[in-house]
This record gives sequence, structure tokens and C-alpha cells, in this order.
Amino acid sequence: MIRTQKLTKKYGDHLALADLDLEVSPGEILGFLGPNGAGKSTTLRLLSGFLPPTSGSCSIAGLDLTKDSLAARQKTGYLPENFVAPYEMRVKEYLLFRARLKGLGRKEAKASMESIIGRLGLEPRLRQPFSALSKGFRQRVGLADALLADPPALLLDEPFSGLDPLQRQEFREILVRLAGQGKAILFSSHVLPEVEEIATRVQILHLGHSRAVGTMKELQNHLQREASLLLRLQDQSDGEVPLQKGADRFGYRLEVLAPDRFLLHLDHPESRPALFRWVGTQRLDVLEFREVRPDLDQLFRSLVEEVSA
Amino acid sequence: MNAFLALWRREVFSLLVSPFVFLLLGFWFLLNGLMFRITLDTQAVQNDLGLLPPYLFGSGLLVWLLLPAFPPLLCIRLFAEEHRVGTLEPLLTAPIRDIAVVLAKYLAACVFFLFFWGGVLLLFFLLAWHDASLDWARIFGGMLGAMLVSFLFLATGIWASSWGGNLVLAAGGGAALNYLLLFVPALFELHEGGIGAVARLAHLPNFLDRGFAAGLIDSYALVYLLGMSLLFLFLTWIRLVSRRWVP
Repeated sequence: MIRTQKLTKKYGDHLALADLDLEVSPGEILGFLGPNGAGKSTTLRLLSGFLPPTSGSCSIAGLDLTKDSLAARQKTGYLPENFVAPYEMRVKEYLLFRARLKGLGRKEAKASMESIIGRLGLEPRLRQPFSALSKGFRQRVGLADALLADPPALLLDEPFSGLDPLQRQEFREILVRLAGQGKAILFSSHVLPEVEEIATRVQILHLGHSRAVGTMKELQNHLQREASLLLRLQDQSDGEVPLQKGADRFGYRLEVLAPDRFLLHLDHPESRPALFRWVGTQRLDVLEFREVRPDLDQLFRSLVEEVSA
Repeated sequence: MNAFLALWRREVFSLLVSPFVFLLLGFWFLLNGLMFRITLDTQAVQNDLGLLPPYLFGSGLLVWLLLPAFPPLLCIRLFAEEHRVGTLEPLLTAPIRDIAVVLAKYLAACVFFLFFWGGVLLLFFLLAWHDASLDWARIFGGMLGAMLVSFLFLATGIWASSWGGNLVLAAGGGAALNYLLLFVPALFELHEGGIGAVARLAHLPNFLDRGFAAGLIDSYALVYLLGMSLLFLFLTWIRLVSRRWVP
């Protein structure tokens, strides 16, 4: 549905995006992750038809953005970063205007708007001018705009920025529902927990290059070069001594988080079963002993560190 | 067509609810009223009211001073303001052709400019109401010419507005361009040879003074004004569409 092949964008000598390949299928939410300046907004602007690529191609529903921009834009709902509508327009007027702009007739435009405002909780604000809306409602208007005319592909640039935690939660639920309806959603963010929570796949971008792509689990497996095990003991401050003894035997590095909490970094994850058995013989009052998988934040940091190194 | 009409209506609406535009309109009416009064009081016009349209539309200050400045001020909100506020990106990523965007905005400004001229026409009606004997062919001719010149200045204004989000540059650039279109031919029209000939062919006040305001529809002037307007609309379109062309 949303596809790029070797997509490259240069601003003068500055390479903003290099050979980006990505694909988002219907019903999928691809979280586009990267620090500021990674090339996320550039990618979305290329996919929205606002900017032309320097090389490579991008398409929506099989329609090339450079050759068939108008038809491709008809299949796309786009929420730009820091979305703004004309301040003097009321929400209802603006949404009807946008629906007409997307080629809908008067009745269709009204029906399309009414089907969306309920889902986004915009009814109480319909008569308010855009200038009177809070950031959260402005974002909702932007999302409503993107959803008008029921496009199969959604491009959302930092959709959670400026929202409070409750609004973020609501927004996440809305996106998951939309994906459930078969929409292909590509959204960018630098807020990792949000991406982790709703994205079916994640693509990590850094300095214009795609560094990793896959499901959270695939990324974790791919990047986890060592297994980390968390060991929590009950009221025991002398656990470090026996655990140090096992370090050489099982090839782990012991990290003391607290007198009763330890992290064991195993160089050879296959030795986990033996280690579990060994810990059981050490007369330690174990409360918790489990593998700690890196979250997106850790994955992201390790990727950035890897690139910097 | 839906998209074009929707955008055109929105642009007209935006102009109608803009306090700045009404301030501009008020200022225009005030200055025009003064100029109308001053022209009316001149001895030549007192002797022959038929001279009022050419004096007002052709050789008067209306064309030379006022007219080039107002259309670009009206045009700043069409692109420059949208660029500055950030509403241009949602507009240009909507499924509407760039040429439709340019034309919808331009035609909205043209329709709105009819209000500007409507006020001037009202002054003639007031004069007629006071039993003045007026030459309506000259008045309507002058009005048509002034409107066509206004539409040209709106086209240059919209082009200047498309340069970016700098409102001063948009208004100042458009006005400067309009003054150049007025003054450069006036400076060179007395030259002999090619330059003088070209200058005479592009001398806007002459079109108004000797043509439209004399009650004559000069087809050359008509083609020139419409052609120049189309040229600046084309440049505006190029400016927008090149965003998608230039990698």
C-alpha cells in the first residue's frame, strides 16, 4: 500500500534521506522512529507528494508519487507535523471544505465528515474556530482531515506531539481501530513507548539511513547480542559473593543494581538453563529470576551508539 | 471542479472575514473619495465633466500612486500568509491541481477587488443623482480598463506572494513590480527607436487615458493586459509546481 524503493532526498549537499526502502501493508501500523533530523518528516513529505525525491521512487496504492501525484494523493490522508488549519475557520466549515477539496460532493462531504467527527470526539467543537482549540483538538482536526474521503493510506507526522497523556491514549486507540479497518498507517515519532505500544512493525531511521526494520520481537532478537537476566533476592545483602563465583563458570558479567538486585549479562545465552539450575543450588532466596529483553528505548540507543562508533 | 469551487469559496470567505482587508478597503475608499473630490474640483473638469474619467483613471494619481500598491497587499494572504502560518502544506498535498489552486485564489482576489471598484462607481452614481451630466461610456470604459489593470496587478501580487512566507517581501515585491510596470515604459516612451516603441506599447496609463477612459475598447490593450496577467499566473504556477519538479 505505502512503498518506497531506494528513496533518496538531498537538500543541496545535505543528504536528508538515503536509499530508503519501506513497505506498509493494509492493516499495518509502521512506526517510523528516529531522532530529530533523522529524515522522518522528509520521508512523509515525499510520500505526501509535497516534495519530489532526488532519486528512487515512492508510491501509494501502486500509484507513483512523481508520475501520478494527483491520483496518489487521493488515496492518502496526511497529517503534517504541527498541523495548522486557517485560524478563522470553524471546525465544521474547515472539514467540509477539506472534504470538498478532496473531490467529494456536498452530500458525500457532509456524510464523510459526520462519520469521522463522532469517532474523534469532535462534536462539541464543531462550531469553534480553529484558533480557539487546544493542541489536542487541533491534532484531532488534523487527523479528521486526513481521514476524510476514507483514504486507504495514512501518513501521520508526529501525531502525538503536544498531546497530554489521556489524549495520547485516545489517539493510540483511534490508530489501532483504523488499522483494524484495513488502513495502512505510517506514523513518525521520537516518543519510543508510543511506537512500541501500537506499531505492528518498527523502522528505525538515523541520519537519513534506515538502521533496522521489523517487529519489536525481531528487532530485540536481532540486536540482543547478550542475554540479560534480572535476579531479585529477598532481604539478602550477601548474594553478591556466590554470584561472583558463577561469573567465570557461566561467562557472565555481574552488575549490582541494588544489594538485593543483580543483572547478569550472559555472553553465551545458551548457558541459561545450566545457570538457572546452578542458582537454584546456591541457597539464595530468589524472588525473581527472569530474562530482561531490551525495550525500544534501549534498542534505539544501542543502534545510535553503534552508528556513532 | 468541486475542489476548485471549494477553494475559491474559501478564499472569498477568508477575504470577507479579514479585518486587514476591510482596513485596506476603508483606506482605499477614503483616498479615492479624496482624489475624486480633488479631480472634480479642477477647472478643466468643472468645464467639461467628460474629462473626469480620463483624469481619474488615466492621468490621475489613482493609477500612478494607489493602484499598484493595493492588489499586492490583498494578495499577501493568498500564499505568503499560508506559507508563514503553515496551512500551505495541507493545501498542496490535497488532491487538487496546482493550477486550480492558483486560479481559485486569483479569481477570489479578482472578485473581491470588484468591491474596491464598486465604491468608486458609487461616486459616479452619486454625481448623476445630483443631476450631473455624465458620459457613461467613458466611465464604464475607464472602469473596465482600471479593473483590467487591477487584475494584472493582482497577478503580479499573487506571484510575489508565492515567493515564500515573508509578508513584507510579498507585498513590497508585488508593489515594486507594479510600479516598474507603470514607470519603466513611462520613462522610455519618448526614446526613439526600438526601446521607445516597446515602451509605448506597454504604457499602461496610455491604455487607460487614451483608450478605455475615452470610451474605446482597444483590443491591443485588452490582449496586453490579459496576456500579462496570464504570464504572471503562469509564473506563479511554475513557482508552485517546481516544488514537485526540482529534486
